Amino acid sequence: MQINWQVVYQTTKGSVFQCTLTNRFIVEFSHTQTSFSVLDFRQFRRMVNAIDMRQMALRTDDAHDVAILSPPHTDRCFVLTLCEVVHLRDLLNGAGFMLDLNRMLSDCGCSFPEEVIA
Amino acid sequence: MKDIVRLRTSIKEDIEQILNQQILMEFESSSKYLAMASWCDRNGFEFSAGFFYKQSDEERQHGLKIFHYLCDQGVVAVTPAIGAVQIEFDTLRSVFEAALEQEISVTNAINRIIATCRRENDYITEEFLRWYVKEQMEEEFIARRCLDLFNLIPADDTLRLDKELARVTFTGETVD
Ligand SMILES: [Fe+2]
Ligand SMILES: [Fe+2]
Repeated sequence: MQINWQVVYQTTKGSVFQCTLTNRFIVEFSHTQTSFSVLDFRQFRRMVNAIDMRQMALRTDDAHDVAILSPPHTDRCFVLTLCEVVHLRDLLNGAGFMLDLNRMLSDCGCSFPEEVIA
Repeated sequence: MKDIVRLRTSIKEDIEQILNQQILMEFESSSKYLAMASWCDRNGFEFSAGFFYKQSDEERQHGLKIFHYLCDQGVVAVTPAIGAVQIEFDTLRSVFEAALEQEISVTNAINRIIATCRRENDYITEEFLRWYVKEQMEEEFIARRCLDLFNLIPADDTLRLDKELARVTFTGETVD
């Protein structure tokens, strides 16, 4: 974690940081870090939430063993097993919740005590 | 914690999503009206056809207006994928009835979005949607007035009915 990064949300499987210098989100998941703009982060979260997990669980052919995602403006792609989809969803939606909470607090004039989350 | 999302846009994610759904609905309306225009055209209702061609254009403009709003607010406007729409109707009256039903569902959708804006304290988007509230009041008025004509003009006087239908406009007070 770098000096200008704030923890948005963490699970045992990964972390989401925000960089206060570049105003970007950094997703750390299965030992890799991927940086996203605000819009691309939203988009990436939507992509992960849109994965048809039922299909992955029920279909027996190889093509449905993993979900492959290429998030916008990154040169990497995520190859996710069913378990990883669950963990990544957890992480991204948890981060989404914290961002909403942060907004709600600032809407009513409060702010997140940073030392508690950092 | 620094709110880097707010720096990017004032539009919250759920508002972005329902506005994109509304874009889809307006484009669907456009498509439905185009199908109605086509039905009127091929069944000899020339004036009603003109009326629906114009409606179809207007609905597209309604969709685009939201599209530009989302782009201006720095979020993603999604190009809507429109499915197949109803192209056959039993009678001219049923065409106009379908039009009124469509307008009612659009009014309901706009109301729901405004309710969401209030819940999310998004008064900027609510203000933007005020135009749609007025528009829906006019659209429902026109569609209802058209249906009234079917009761006022004898059914066998189709040419007159067709002409009168296309002439219906909203004459009430509006504030721009
Ligand atoms: Fe409309
Ligand atoms: Fe309309």
